[in-house]
Parts: sequence; C-alpha cells; structure tokens
Amino acid sequence: METARTDLTKRNIWRALDIPIIIAGFLVILPILGINRTTDFAIFCIFVLAFNILYGFMGRLSFGHMLYLGTGAYTVTLFSEHVSGNPLLAILAALAAGALIGVVLGPIIVRTTGACFALINLAFCQVGHFLVLVAFSRYTGGEDGMSAYFSKLPFLDFGNKAVVFGFVLFCLVLAYFFLKKFTASPYGVLIKSIKENETRVKFLGYNTFNYKWITFIISTTVSAFAGALSILNYGYVTPSFIDPSRAVEVIFAALIGGSGSLYGSIIGGVVYMAISNYLASYIPRWEMFLGFALLIVVFRFRTGVWGFITGLFARRRDALAR
Amino acid sequence: MINTIAYGLTIGAILYIISIGLSLTFGTMRIVNFAHGFVYTIGAYLLISSLPFVRDNFFLGAVLAVAAVIPISYVVERFVIRKLYGVSIDYAIIATYAVVLIGVDSIKWIWGASPIPLSDPIGKDISLFSVVLPMYRVLIIVLALVIFGALTVFFKKTIVGKIVTASLEDKDAVKSLGINVDKYFSIVFVIGSCLAALGGVLYAPITSVHPYMGMMVLLISFAVVLVGGLGNIKGTFVSAFVLGLVMAITGRYWGPAAETMVFVVMGIVLIFKPVEV
Repeated sequence: METARTDLTKRNIWRALDIPIIIAGFLVILPILGINRTTDFAIFCIFVLAFNILYGFMGRLSFGHMLYLGTGAYTVTLFSEHVSGNPLLAILAALAAGALIGVVLGPIIVRTTGACFALINLAFCQVGHFLVLVAFSRYTGGEDGMSAYFSKLPFLDFGNKAVVFGFVLFCLVLAYFFLKKFTASPYGVLIKSIKENETRVKFLGYNTFNYKWITFIISTTVSAFAGALSILNYGYVTPSFIDPSRAVEVIFAALIGGSGSLYGSIIGGVVYMAISNYLASYIPRWEMFLGFALLIVVFRFRTGVWGFITGLFARRRDALAR
Repeated sequence: MINTIAYGLTIGAILYIISIGLSLTFGTMRIVNFAHGFVYTIGAYLLISSLPFVRDNFFLGAVLAVAAVIPISYVVERFVIRKLYGVSIDYAIIATYAVVLIGVDSIKWIWGASPIPLSDPIGKDISLFSVVLPMYRVLIIVLALVIFGALTVFFKKTIVGKIVTASLEDKDAVKSLGINVDKYFSIVFVIGSCLAALGGVLYAPITSVHPYMGMMVLLISFAVVLVGGLGNIKGTFVSAFVLGLVMAITGRYWGPAAETMVFVVMGIVLIFKPVEV
C-alpha cells in the first residue's frame, strides 16, 4: 500500500482518475445545461474522440467525417423501422455498418495523405449526402428525415431521458477507455510513428497500409456509434447528420481541445458545443467569430486548450524544481 | 444531345478557369486553398455591385470585379497563406477554411443571404451545326481556350512563368539559385484568385448568386485538380472539360446526381492512380 501511494505522483493521479473525473465533470455540468444538452455534449465528445484517433494520433485530417456519423444514424433508424425495434440490436447494427464502410472505403482513402485524404473523405461525404437526400429519399424520407421508434426493453427504458443520459455517459467512458488502451498499446505507438514519419516505419518492416486501414475502421466504427447514440437521444434523423458542410465542427472541437490527446478531445467537444449552443444566440455574426477563433488557434495555440493547460503546469513544475 | 455537349463544354470551360488557380497553389505550395471558393463567390457579388456604376455593361462590370479581387486576394495571401508555407498541411486547410467562414459571413453581412438572380448579359443566340446555342456560352468556351493559350505562353516564355514551372518541379533547387520563390508564388496566387473571380463572374448569369455558391464549385474544382494532376496545367485543362461533360450528361438523365457523379469519377481515377502528396 505504501509503495503504491508513493507511485501516485501528481501526474499519475490524473492518469489513474481520468474516468472518474470525466464522469464527475459531466455530472457537474448536468444541472447547469439540462439533461438533453448534456447528453448531446457527451455524444459529440464520442464523435470527437473517433475523429481524433485519425487526426491527432495518425495525423490524417478528414474533412468528411460526418459521413461515418450519418452512417450510424441512418443505420439505427432504418434498422429500427425494418428489422427490429430493439435499440441495443440497432446500435450493434450501426457499429457493424460503421465498420463496413471503413472496410470498403478504407483501401481507397488511407493510401492518400494530407490534402487528398481530407478531400476524398469530403467527396465521399458528398456522395453519401446525395444518397440519403435524393437517391434513396423513398427510404430515408429525403430532406424531411424520419423518426426512429424503439421498443421498450425491460431493464433499459430509452423513453426516459435520465436512462439515455446514463447510457450515453457509460458509452462515452467505454469509448474513452477502449481508445485509451488502444493508443497506449504498441499499436498506438506505431500509428503515432506513422504520423511522424511513415517512410521510416515502412523501413522498419511494418506494412503501414494495414495499420492505417485498421485505425480508419476503428474511427469510422466509433463515429457510427456516436451517430447511433444521437438518434437514441433525438429519435429523429435528418440529412444534416451527413451534411458535408458540418465537417468543420468536429475539426474545430479537436483543435480547441488539442489534437493527440483523448482528454483534450473531451474538453474540446464540451467547449465547442458550449460555443455553438450559446454563442450563436448571443453573437449574430458567429460564423465570423468562429473563423477568427480558428485562425487564432492555428497561429497561436497549436496545442489547443488541453495542451495549453498541460504546458502551463509543466512550466510551473519546472519553475518550482528550479 | 449536341446541346448537352455544348452545355458540358461551357461548364468545363468555367471549371477550367476556376481550377487553374487551385491547381497552381496546390502544386507550388502544397496548400489546399479553401479560400479559393470564397474568392469565386466574392467575384460574382462584386459584379452585382459594380453593374449599376457601369450602366449594366457586363464586360466593364466583369473587369471591375476581377480588378477588385486583386487587393482581397493579396490580403489573404499576405496574412494567411504566406504564414502557412512549410507548416503542416492540416493547419493550412483549417486556416483557409477559417478565411471562408469569415468571408462568407461578411458577404451575408453586406449583401444579405438570399440568392440574387442575374440575366444572360448577351441574350442573343448563335446557330452552329444547325443547333441554336446561347451566344454567351459559346463566348465562355472561346474565353477558356484563350486563357489556356495565354497561360501556356506565360509558363513557357516569360521569366515569372519559367520560375514557377521550375518550382513546381523542384522548389529547393530554384531557391538555391538565389530566387525568392515565395514572391513568385504570391504573384501566381493573385493570378489564380483573379481567374477564380472571373469564373464566378462568368457563372453568375447561368445560376443565381448566393453566399454558399463557392463551396460546391470548390469541391468540384478539387476533383478536377486531383484528376488532372497537381500543378499540371495541361492535365487540369483536359480534366476540367471531361468532368464538365460528365456533369452535363449525367444532369441530362438525372439532374440531382450531376455533382455526385464527378466525385464518383474522381474516386475511380484515384483508385487506379493514387496521388502522392
């Protein structure tokens, strides 16, 4: 017991208590924002986590991640309408659909880097948006969207908002835990190395294509998971879930939080949602505000809020040590 | 059918005029310039604002609009793009996207968000091969051919063009000759932006003018650039006309799918010819 306690230096306490801190954080903002918004925030955080696996850890910026969110959202809705009203089965179907789209599109997408990667994602997102808006509008309800009806489960009643909130928070912690283990593993180190220098990783004898493909699949699957949960919360799906012009939201959130950090993703998700929910009602020209904020982040705070805070602590620690 | 092809060639011509600037910034600086779509939009809006001053003379209005874009694109280049040389490409994408957000919001602030229609500035028809075509569209195609010729001469004969062509091949080698490459890049950037604004001006009478008109065109131009090859001037020319035809022919059979088809073609091309960036 004594040795364990000495191991828990200040840094390690943060590391060990991250999940309780996330839960506590959401429980703190719950009474401030109300249950609907807090659930919304938590779902968006899952989406930011999924995006950040590709962007922050593997260094691939996707400009069409709404496609994978929308895949989950539409799969849940269509599954509940045509196959079974069981929400848990519908979420599993959405996860499968998210993985499938990653498997199919991955080989085309992950071969590219940088700008091409961003734009090919965007192009596919555009195609997906067209498919649900026009081509399959008979099944998806086109621009009007469609409602999702879930049957009641004996132990989980998703008609109750508190249950939805608890479930979403559990899912967020689950996604966080999974991605934390994933990024801390040797595999995670490998994808970070791909971000730094892919040629060298290839030189070490790794087939980087497979690693990139699998990471891409994980990202699409978790994104679809977030999409599925949003439908659980809203009960309604519209083409805005797959709208390419909304791609910037998740990028901005990941940037605010600081790319390459899971903690940061969650902070970024909450901060972005707070900005977009409340700022838009106070500032009429909020798009312009967002633009200037992005420029400031890009030119001044590349490490994001979380990186800025950790940097501040590191500097203070250095000052104390001296 | 000939009408459809003619329409496709018109779209191809406009796409070429817009894409050339994108292709050059992409090829020289490796920057994905989202602000290009904003410049295209502001070109069309400046045309609308300048028309009353020149007694609705479309030609003079177009010249004024394109000239007014020069300072705007210079500001974008000086304060955003120039700071992005050598920075990670993600930040370049995000910073130029931020420029789009600011620009589009300013447009909504100044001109309002509702679409503004413009009529065909010439209004006469011309009969070619027993098909009646609007004169305006034929002129656009001719203009694109003229611009292609002028740019070919520019890149082959003038010293600025030669430097830029050489930097497309090997930037460091050109730098080591003591040439300030960045200065020439900013010239190319302004030329490209002017051409984008010209594209917006030319396309405005065919569709209506609205703040978000640049986004879709920008995506299609990216497809043109990727299919044609980055910084490849001839490739951009060919792919612009091919994709313009793809759009027109798809649009003839199934209107809403026209733009999506472009991305399908792009996807197929990229499967067989991956781009190394």
